[in-house]
This record gives sequence, C-alpha cells and structure tokens, in this order.
Amino acid sequence: MTWEHLTIYIDRMEELLLPEATRKRLLVVLFIPSVERDSITEIDQDRWVDEALEMFGRIFGGATAFPRAKGIWRDNDRDRKLVRDNPVVLHCYMAPEDLEDPSNQASLRTFCRRMGRETNQGEVGLVIDDEYLAITRFSEE
Amino acid sequence: MKSRIDIDKIARGLGAERRGKVSIRSGHFGAMQLVAEIQGRFRVPTGGGRATDPAWTKKRLVPLAEQTLKRLEHLAHKIEEKRHVHIDPMQVAALLLENVTENIADEEIEQIVESARASG
Repeated sequence: MTWEHLTIYIDRMEELLLPEATRKRLLVVLFIPSVERDSITEIDQDRWVDEALEMFGRIFGGATAFPRAKGIWRDNDRDRKLVRDNPVVLHCYMAPEDLEDPSNQASLRTFCRRMGRETNQGEVGLVIDDEYLAITRFSEE
Repeated sequence: MKSRIDIDKIARGLGAERRGKVSIRSGHFGAMQLVAEIQGRFRVPTGGGRATDPAWTKKRLVPLAEQTLKRLEHLAHKIEEKRHVHIDPMQVAALLLENVTENIADEEIEQIVESARASG
C-alpha cells in the first residue's frame, strides 16, 4: 500500500444525531440572588432555585445548583458600606440549538424577568458561552 | 468542540445586555470562581443603578447645550429621589447614548444629523 493511493472518506454526521452528551456542550449559568436590591431584604432563595431547576430541566433537559457562595463587597456609592450577597449558581449544559430556539429563549427570558420583578432586583445575571449577560428590564410579557 | 452560537442574537432574544467576557470552568470550584469574578467585575450597586460599568473605558468631551445638561441633571435627580440610588447626570447621558446607539437605525441617525445641520 502506498499513501498516495489511499483515500479516506469522512462522513459528516447530522448535529442532531450526535449523542446527547456531545450535543450538550454549551454551558449556561444563572445566578439566583439571596437578597433584594436593597441588599438587606432576604428573598426566598430556595424557592427560586427550585423553580429555576424545574424550568431548566423542562426546557433544556437538566441543571445543577451549587451550594450558595458567600460574598461580600464594598458599595462605594453608599458610604463604603459592606454588603453581603450569597448567590446560588446554576449550571446548565445544553445543546446550542436548544438555546437558539425562540420559544426556549422566551421561556428563559420570562423566568428571568419574573424573578427580577418578584425579588426586586437591579439585574438578573446569566453567563452564556463565556459572556456575562444582564437582564435589567423586568416588565411582564 | 466550539458551541458556535450568535451571542448577539441570543442576547436580543433574552432581552439582555452583553457586559463582557468571563473565564468559566465547570464543576464546583469553577462555579465559585465565577461568582467571585462576577461580583468583582460586574457588581450592580444597590438600588439597581450602575455606578461604574467596566465596559465604559473611554472618555470623550461632549459639547452640550445648557438646556440638555439641565434636563440630564433633572433626570438624575428624579432617579435618585425615586430609586434611592446616586447617579451622575453624565452617567445618565452615557446610558442614554448607549441605549440609542444600540437601537437606532442608520437611516434615522442620518436624518437627525441632516436636520441638525440644516437648522444650524
């Protein structure tokens, strides 16, 4: 056998035929806050974590909530007051095409807006594909 | 394998603003590192305003009419009163500028420039 006569055919598989684990390669992160935007009033964080898990499970096939992180930061705008915030981080691995689906986007958007509105947030944070995205408008759809 | 998504399109679909790149890793430590990075770089000031935005790295002198500055001061004062958050008139200007430049069509801005030149 000589290499110059060797031909290799590589078939391209349809993306949708790839196994679930290979398709789900996009990491989306959602932050569930622990306090309202006044940084004092606590919210029912467990309820929102459960609701977020349910939404991600139903729409995107699953998610993992990590134990709450303990954070503190200095608010220079309010007399350098120390503010505590202990968010819960949710990781969801999904197929990129699932996030590109407008109806799935609408479900995620509706959830984030409702959480922002009902827990009185300044913004709801998401990380998608290494980028931090902020939702700041919480009007009902 | 890269995810190959159009992040602008996704952000529009979610009604979200792109704030900047973060380094993201999987697992528990990755999640905790991410919290630290988000809290450090993208912290929302209490009251929901934006005191400092890490994306605002450029400064330019912008000539304003007296009445425009007065209007910006009035808006900042109203926000401060209503939302209990300190915001500078020029921060209001920067937010408005960002919002308009993101949403205005090229033709519209051409018309505005034309009419400003005609009236000037």
